[in-house]
Amino acid sequence: MLRRKLIKLIGLAAVIVASQTADSSKAEAGDYYAMTQVWAHNFAMDRPWHGNYAYQNYGQPLALVVPPTAHMRQTLSWGVSQNLMYPVYHQYGRSANSPGAAAPGSFYPTPSWPSHTDQFGVYYVRGPWK
Amino acid sequence: MLQRHLSAHTIFAIAICALVAVAASALAEAQECSDCGTSDSSYVGDLGGEVIEGDGGFIGDMSPSDAGCIGRGYGQPDLFYNYFTQGNCNTANAQLYVSPLPVPPFVGHTFYTYQPFHPHHYLYAHTDRYHRYYDNGRGMNRTKVSYGTRPIFTAVQNVYWNKLRIPR
Repeated sequence: MLRRKLIKLIGLAAVIVASQTADSSKAEAGDYYAMTQVWAHNFAMDRPWHGNYAYQNYGQPLALVVPPTAHMRQTLSWGVSQNLMYPVYHQYGRSANSPGAAAPGSFYPTPSWPSHTDQFGVYYVRGPWK
Repeated sequence: MLQRHLSAHTIFAIAICALVAVAASALAEAQECSDCGTSDSSYVGDLGGEVIEGDGGFIGDMSPSDAGCIGRGYGQPDLFYNYFTQGNCNTANAQLYVSPLPVPPFVGHTFYTYQPFHPHHYLYAHTDRYHRYYDNGRGMNRTKVSYGTRPIFTAVQNVYWNKLRIPR
């Protein structure tokens, strides 16, 4: 009787441990040379992190920090074929860049009838690794 | 009884506060600050040390510069460094902190001076090591930090929220 209980307990522990190891697998597993990091970095260098719209409260686009392990973003818009997924290329880094803030009026305001998620002026940027 | 209970709690809270305060002051001492010292180089981790020029007040005194003395040095990495968006094609650049939302300068804000506590580390599970040399490289302070979730608690939560709970 006691042995059965013990076996059950050990089995339960094994299941818990197995589920944990499965959960804690890293997002960059399989990318030993961090090639996707290099690609994302290269793509981020020659395209902006923001769209053409400003966040209503600031008059500037707002960067929404996402985990550095995030890969994709989705945009929603009117129309069946307008819901698209794009990679999140941009990541925060140490270098301070110019210009800091854009001149007023550099960005479009959110339209009264928004038709695309980018028009709200909030754009994803991945957090730094370190 | 209630009073006794309360007083015990109060003492415990005060003890914890004192402990935290001591820890915080120790951490603050361990941190470096680029704004409060002057150094020729601006690289993170550089040892900045300025020879203090002083002429001895007595005959026969050696001034520190004559003896090739090295002043008491303090490391120069930033007490708080911000992160910025990268790239060459941005019309505007964003800084990571103040988090969670930018505030106007007159509002004022606080920031973490201890790098391992920066909130962006809480975004994903990982382990970091921080090194700091001191005493001209004769000593090194290591800090290892692991960010993650409690395994058993998370497993139980997973079973409850994803398997047992009735969706409503």
